[in-house]
Formats: sequence, structure tokens, C-alpha cells
Amino acid sequence: MSAGGDLRHGLRIARAELSRSIRGYGRDWRRLVGIAFAVLFLGGYLLVSLPAAYAVGRRTGSIEAIPFLGAGTSLLPVGLVGLAALRTLERIGRPPAEDLLLLTTHPRAVVLGLIGAELGRLAVWFGVPIVALVTAFGFGLGAPTVIPALGLVALPLFACSAVWGYTLGIGLLRAFRRLPTIRRLLKIGGIGGFVVLTFGSQLAGGLIAERSIQASGLLDAVSIRPLVSYVSLAFVGTPLADSVSLAGLGVLAALIALTPVGVVAATQQASALWFTDTSVTAEPSETKTGGERLAAPRPFSVVKSGRIAWGHLLRAVRKPQEFTHLILLVFFLGPVGTTVVQAADDALGPLVAGIGVGLGTYLAGATFGLNPLGDDRPHLPFLLLSGTGVRTIVRGRALAGVALGLPVAAALPAASVVLGTHLLHAAVFAAVGAGTVVAAAAFGLGLGAAYPIYEEREFWGTETVVPSTLVMLVFLAIVGGGTLIALLGTWVTLTGGLGLSPLVVGAAVVYLALTAGGPYLSYRYAVRRYRRYHLE
Amino acid sequence: MPSANTDAAIQATGLRKVYGSAVALDDVSLSIPSGTVYGFLGPNGAGKTTTMRILTGLTRPTDGSVRIAGTDVRDRRALAPRVGYLPETPPLYDEFSAREQLDYVADLRDIPQSTAQERIERYLSEFELREDADKRIDAYSKGMKQKTAFVQAVLHEPDVLFLDEPTAGLDPRAARRIRESIAAFADEGTTVFLSTHILPVVEAVADEVGVLFDGRVVAEGTPAELRERAEGEGGSLEDAFLAVTSGGAEGLGSGETVESTAGASASPAAPDASNDSR
Repeated sequence: MSAGGDLRHGLRIARAELSRSIRGYGRDWRRLVGIAFAVLFLGGYLLVSLPAAYAVGRRTGSIEAIPFLGAGTSLLPVGLVGLAALRTLERIGRPPAEDLLLLTTHPRAVVLGLIGAELGRLAVWFGVPIVALVTAFGFGLGAPTVIPALGLVALPLFACSAVWGYTLGIGLLRAFRRLPTIRRLLKIGGIGGFVVLTFGSQLAGGLIAERSIQASGLLDAVSIRPLVSYVSLAFVGTPLADSVSLAGLGVLAALIALTPVGVVAATQQASALWFTDTSVTAEPSETKTGGERLAAPRPFSVVKSGRIAWGHLLRAVRKPQEFTHLILLVFFLGPVGTTVVQAADDALGPLVAGIGVGLGTYLAGATFGLNPLGDDRPHLPFLLLSGTGVRTIVRGRALAGVALGLPVAAALPAASVVLGTHLLHAAVFAAVGAGTVVAAAAFGLGLGAAYPIYEEREFWGTETVVPSTLVMLVFLAIVGGGTLIALLGTWVTLTGGLGLSPLVVGAAVVYLALTAGGPYLSYRYAVRRYRRYHLE
Repeated sequence: MPSANTDAAIQATGLRKVYGSAVALDDVSLSIPSGTVYGFLGPNGAGKTTTMRILTGLTRPTDGSVRIAGTDVRDRRALAPRVGYLPETPPLYDEFSAREQLDYVADLRDIPQSTAQERIERYLSEFELREDADKRIDAYSKGMKQKTAFVQAVLHEPDVLFLDEPTAGLDPRAARRIRESIAAFADEGTTVFLSTHILPVVEAVADEVGVLFDGRVVAEGTPAELRERAEGEGGSLEDAFLAVTSGGAEGLGSGETVESTAGASASPAAPDASNDSR
């Protein structure tokens, strides 16, 4: 079949995949609520931004004067390639209903379809706000033609970036398959990279603020002139540009030429990946599954929920890749890390103690709690008929979280004594940590049970169910905020900055009531969701 | 090893598949004539699915070659219209209705629209899916999903149909419908390669039976031939299957190449070699 036939099949696959995605969003009312929140939140920003875009259009006298055009144009393809590669690693490395598609049409059509669907999803998520902003800018400029012209200019750039990002992602998947060690190293490196990036951005921000470095100078430094010339093609015929630049045409020609080359490369890579089985090591890797380790040690063995908790902990040790969602914390560690680096000597100890409490609290709630029904789903028919009470099952999960978080929340405050924390202060921090750990473990369960995710997702070659990002963010906001209040209150009290006024006592009572009552109700809700599971 | 038969619908020669140092398939050769229903048996982990994936071109063998209806399986464009494949897990999109799913597949297979619509309506009626054809597949029962996937696999009327456990978990009515369809397709000249654990299905529809054990074809013949040679064990196909998969082919007194009455042939392993590969 011709390239045209593959293109037609690719478009059909893209349409079907996009349609499936949209139907998938609409299938779950909880997901719809999440999307509605996102639309409300971002829609507000958009409404505020539209008059600004119109005003920029009215004021702008030259292409160079359009804010962030140079840096934005230059960073956009890099960001798109990265995004496409990550999406390929995470989601679209293999086609859905693989056997069907690969026996029905050519891999090139499948590649085109998957990339087309990604571009479609990008348009669904970001198309409306971008078109709205460009329209406002175009009308402000008095040249509405810039709206379709920018679309025409963006298409080759997006297509080329998406194709090469996909090629990169598929290439990485192949490399991971052939060399599993690389995958593990890259995961560790990736996490380290995130940490460095987050800390680095914080430090850079601090430096820029301290030394009054002009942001415009930095942005100019990352601008790639030919790409700016290329985007300028969209403004030809408007008051901003009157002639077509050769550099811009050169970039257009390069994009048009590179896109099919990328498709060929992606098809070759994808065919090699899809039609080759995962290599199996000669001998099964040694797994420590001896009976002695399955038997829960004390104190877990004392109660049934403890034995269940031990089972969760064993699973976590044996398959840690199921907890990749915990990486989200890295983004929030950045500012804390910078503060640690910049902290005065006498503040370092208490800061480390506080971090210990925060980290332990996070692990207690987020590790096992944020998607309990999704995680337990394959076992629920057994669990619910096993004769073990639902409360015991849910308590087992909470206990597993506590068992993980409590040592961290206690050990780091204890270790901070070496850094100058007073022994009594360290003990108080550890005690506060014990409270927040238990609260987070219980709270996370209810929150996660409210919005379970059942579908397994392939993340860096591992099929796993991960909690919803919305649940993670809500958890971080509520538990993070609550823990911060507890830590600040503790610190101010310990340093004598807080007297025992009725207002302070009242606030403390309200806080304690919320910290105890919220998680308790959340735990009750999780139990109820488990009990009613069969009704869904 | 059977001689290459240019008229064979499925011609596999010297298939070998190795994962690391584990041998999944070892010198498997098949020659199956057009219009044959070939029952492919074997215990769990024997290599049946690997064989099917190699025969359909979805997995590359470490060694050996396969031609389906005269086409080298590496030529994917030529192969696609000739084969239909129903894997053990039906490859369906939960978000689609059966009609949308079949329309989609017909489109990707370039079946002319009028022909596709006629076939879709006919098969939906034959498989008692018409009333639910516009409901989403995620609301379907296992049997309905399996029947939809079966229709999907035969919509383009392939020369060779590969079925992996097509009746597993189905109620008797649905299972019978699938069995009748297999027989009907074979009557019209379609070659059916049927992998299953359900021996009565094989006894009911298969012209030829091959038994895979430890990556090797250890017995092959018509169901009657295998039953007859297992008389000492009780005489049923189940007895024959248990005999060859518990201690190699000596239970049937074979060890030589079996030439069946229908003409299909394979190269059974020597009895003492069947366990060597693992």
C-alpha cells in the first residue's frame, strides 16, 4: 500500500484513539469533576489574559517586541520533543489492541495514528486557550489573518517535534528492553535530575532576584534566531512584517523534510519493538520469597491488621516500581532544599527535624493510601469473601503507611540533635510527627477511596495502577498545609514565641479537632467504600 | 521434518524461539493444507501462544521460516488480508460499540463500505449481537465480547484463521455458535488453526491435531488416529494428550514422523528429547 494509504489509515486510527480518549474522560464522573475544576481554575487565568493579549497586539510595533516570542519559540520544540518522548515512554509505546492493529494495517499507519492522536489530545487540552489568546492578539494587532497563519506555521513545527519525540521515546524503550540496567539507572538518574532541576531553578531564581539580573537578557540568550524567523512568517502581511525571510523559509523546508524522515525512523524503531518479544533472562532472578519472610515479625504478627500491613510492606520491597507516584514529592522538596542550603547554622537542626516529620507524614499517607480500591481491586473478590472484616483490611493499609512513615518522622528529628536541635525539641518534633503520620495514613485512605483509579498504566515499562494526580495534589495541599501548621506552631511554642492566650488555646483545639476528626471520618469513608464495593 | 508443500496454507519450517538460554520452541515444522481445521494442543507453557504469534508474524522466530497462504509472514502488507487472528484476550476497545468496532476494523482493512455493511449486519445477526450492537463493549458479557472479536477476525474473510482459546469461558450456546462457525469457515475453504485446552471442541471440529510439549511437536494426526494409538491408555483424545505430554511421545508408540490422512505433517521430537530443552 502507498504512503497515502498508510496516512489514511493513520488518520483513522488517530480519530478512533482520540474518540476513545474523549469517551474515557466522560465515563467517570469523578474525572469530569476534576476536569471541571481544572477548567474553572485555568479558565479564570484565561479570562484575565485575553484583554492583556489584546492590549499587547495593539501596542506591539515589531515582532521583537512581542513578549517571550524569542524564548518561547525556541523552547517550544524542545519542550514538545521532551513531552512526546515522555508520553511515549509512559503511555503510547505500544498501540492499544496491539494484535488487532498490527495484523490489520502496516506499522507505519499505526505510528502515524498514535502520533496523530497525541497531537489531537494536545489540541483538545490546549487548543481552546491558545486559539483564544492568538485571536485576542490578532484582533488587537488589527490583522485577524495572523490567526490562521499562526496555525499553519505551528502545524509543521508541532508535527516534526511530535514525530521526533516519538522516535526518541521508542528508541529509549528499545534500549530499556535490551539493557534493563540502563532503565534502572535512568530512573535513578531521572529522579536525581528532577531534584537537581528543582533545586537549581530555586537557586537560579534566588540569584536572579539577589543580583537584579534582567530576565529579558536571559531569555534573549536562549532564543534561536532561525526559529524566530520561521514564526515571523505568520506575521507577513501584517504591520509587524512585510517580507518573507530566507531563514524562515529554510526552517520550514527543514521541518517538512525532517518529518517524513522521522516517520521512517519511528516506524523502524517501533517495528523492532513491537515484533520482538521481551528478552527473558536465562535464569529467573533470585527472589527472596522464603516462608520465613512471609511470616510477619513482631509487632506486626500480634493483630490481623498488622499481618496485612506486613504483606503490603513486603510487596513494596519486592516491587518498588509500583510506587513511582511518590516522585511527585520531589517538586515540593525544591524550595525546602534551597532553604536548607541557605539556612543559618542554628536553624539547620530544627529544619531537618521538620523535614523528617513532613517526609514521614507524606510517606504514611501517600504510599499505600491514595488508591486503595484500585490497588486492591484484583484481590477484592478474595478479600471481601475471606471472612476478615473490612475495617481490618483498611486498618492494615493504614498500619503499613504508619510503619513506613513513623520511623522517618522519628529518626530525622532524633538525628537532628547532632545538628544542634535541643533534645527536648527533637522529642517534641518526633511526637508531633507520630500524630501527623497517623492522621495522614487515615486521611489518605478516604481521599484515595473517593477517586479510585483502576486502569493499569505503563510507566517506564512497568504496568501499574497509580493514584490520580488530582488526589495527589489535594493530599499534598491538605496534609502538607496541616503538617506545616503543626510544625510552625510547635516551633513557635518551643521557642517561647507563643503565650497561652484563649485565642491560641482555641486555635489549637480547633486544629487538633480537625486533625483528628478529618482523618477519622476519612477512614470511616474508606471502610464504607470497601463495604459497598460490590454495589458498584 | 516435512518437505515444503507449496500448496500448504500454513508452512512452517524449523521454527526455533529462544529467550536468553530458555528454549521456547525447538525445531517446530508444520505443513497444513488449505481448508483444514488444525487443533493445536499442549499444556500450559508448552509454547502454543508463541507458535501462534510467530505464525501470524507478530513475533520473530530465532530461526526458521513461515509462509501463510504462500506469503512470507515478514511481508506484513501481503500477510494482513490473508490472516485473521483471535488472541486469547479479545483485542476490543471498551469505549466503542460492537458496530463501531467492526466499522473501524473494516475501514482499516479497506473493505468496500457496502460489502462491509452487508457482512457486519449478517454476522451481527448470526452471532445474536444485533440487539446490542450499539451498546458500548464495556457493558458486554464475556461471551458477547468473544463473539464480537471472532466476527472482527473473520470480517475480511481471511484464507487462514488463527484462534487462541476461542471458546474458553463461554456458555454452551455461545461456544456452540463459535464451533459451528469454525466448521462453516472450513467448509468454505478457510484454514483454521485452533489452539485450545478444551479437548471436546477439538474432537468436534478438528481434522488434524498437533500436540506441542516443551516447545516441540510430539504427536500429530487425526483425532481418530491419536485416539486409536492411545487405546492402551483408555482410547480418548484426553488419554492421548496426557500420554504424550507426560513422558514424551512414547506413550503413543510414536517417534517417527506422522503422516496424516489429511496430509498435514509435523516433525515430532524423539521421546527422550522432549524434555531436554528446558
